[in-house]
Amino acid sequence: MSATCQQLESGAVELYFYDELPDGSRAEMASHVARCRHCAAALEDLKVIRTALSTRPDVSAPISGDWSDFMERLDAAVLTDKTNVAPDALAFRPSTAATIPAPVRSYIGLLATAALVAIVTISVTYLARHRQVPLNQQFAARPHSEGAAPAAAPQTTTAQPVATTGMRSVGEQHFERSKLVVLGLASKEPGEVSVADWAYERSLASTLLSDTRLYRLAAEERGLTSLAGVMRDLELVLLETSMAEGSDPAELPQIQRLIRKRQLIQKMDVVNTVGLLP
Amino acid sequence: MTPDTDLISRAAAGDHFAFQTLVERHRSMVYRVAYQFAGNHHDAEDIAQEVFIKVYRSLDRFRQDAQLTSWMYRIAMNACIDHRRRHSPAAAAPFGEEAELKMLNTPEESPGPEETTYAGELGDVLEAEIARLPPGQRLVFIMRHHQDLKLGEIASSLGLAEGTVKRQLHAAVHRLRRALSTANVTAGGGA
Repeated sequence: MSATCQQLESGAVELYFYDELPDGSRAEMASHVARCRHCAAALEDLKVIRTALSTRPDVSAPISGDWSDFMERLDAAVLTDKTNVAPDALAFRPSTAATIPAPVRSYIGLLATAALVAIVTISVTYLARHRQVPLNQQFAARPHSEGAAPAAAPQTTTAQPVATTGMRSVGEQHFERSKLVVLGLASKEPGEVSVADWAYERSLASTLLSDTRLYRLAAEERGLTSLAGVMRDLELVLLETSMAEGSDPAELPQIQRLIRKRQLIQKMDVVNTVGLLP
Repeated sequence: MTPDTDLISRAAAGDHFAFQTLVERHRSMVYRVAYQFAGNHHDAEDIAQEVFIKVYRSLDRFRQDAQLTSWMYRIAMNACIDHRRRHSPAAAAPFGEEAELKMLNTPEESPGPEETTYAGELGDVLEAEIARLPPGQRLVFIMRHHQDLKLGEIASSLGLAEGTVKRQLHAAVHRLRRALSTANVTAGGGA
């Protein structure tokens, strides 16, 4: 294919083909195409391209034809979008309020209230009353599962249900917070994360890391291999995040790959569905 | 059926169900555009997700007198460009005279037409070549050829001069014709 016609070089043939030429020029071009073999060949090619592409399938849905995964993923991303704003709101930084979209603003009050209630409840019912109960004993206080050996008899029958409740409450709270961090990391756009955002994510991950490790160890000790596996993956992601400098543009994509590779969000969803402590 | 404008107002006020209904109503259009640009389901899903997240974030900025589909379409086009920019920064330069030249000369890294000819149909060859087009050319070609938008509409939608759009289209067609020519020669002059 070698173009030797000025009309062809100028792109006029495409405009003619796509009916983008004014009437006068169109008639002129029609006359030219009838005489010029280069332009006639180009026009023929365009027709072939149109015909060939018109036979291609019209793809307007995910490969399975099922939108449920897509909608779930979108819901999670929208939820993360809302919760990512919550720390700003809780930190009482009025300068950011004006930039928060309306749908997010409407949830901030709820989130603040929920966070306050959770903190008070956990502080009062768990930390004040059961701080001395060892972690493994707390896990031992609930029914065993996943082929684990029967739980050892609890030391004090009165502490058992409260310890279980407290453990579940704290564990679920921890798990929810961790999940929000993971969702936040997964949905961030590389290159668009500010230094302040990174500092926040890093400190949050560092805070959650030691507890995650304890939960993982406790789950391993109890033979809860699936839960221990999820905790191990979570621990790894939190560790990577807590060590990230925020200056290397490759860091976030690397963490996101890790989340995807380990299917961490899906696993955490499963744990959410069946409950942290069966 | 509830009008889109009502759904937008409700969604902007925090009604998640209204937002879901909006998504369900327009997801096929968005997915089609994303797939035509990306050429595979994985990236198309990512792009479509990005579109609706951007829509969600911009709900309170939507002008009630504007066309929702046009607005969404424009977001989809920008999401396509952003997606390509993130995954292949060197190839996805922004529009502009200098960048345009760069885009015209920066093919995607994937098998060329010679390698795909034997794989089958002419449509396959052309689709592969469309996937190899620099993002600017690909976008303009898709908008003109698949979406049947006029050059003026494309220019307005992308915020470009019409001359730039014409040049992008011309360059895209030139490359597709070259792929066609190569395919014909390789296939023994058939097609």
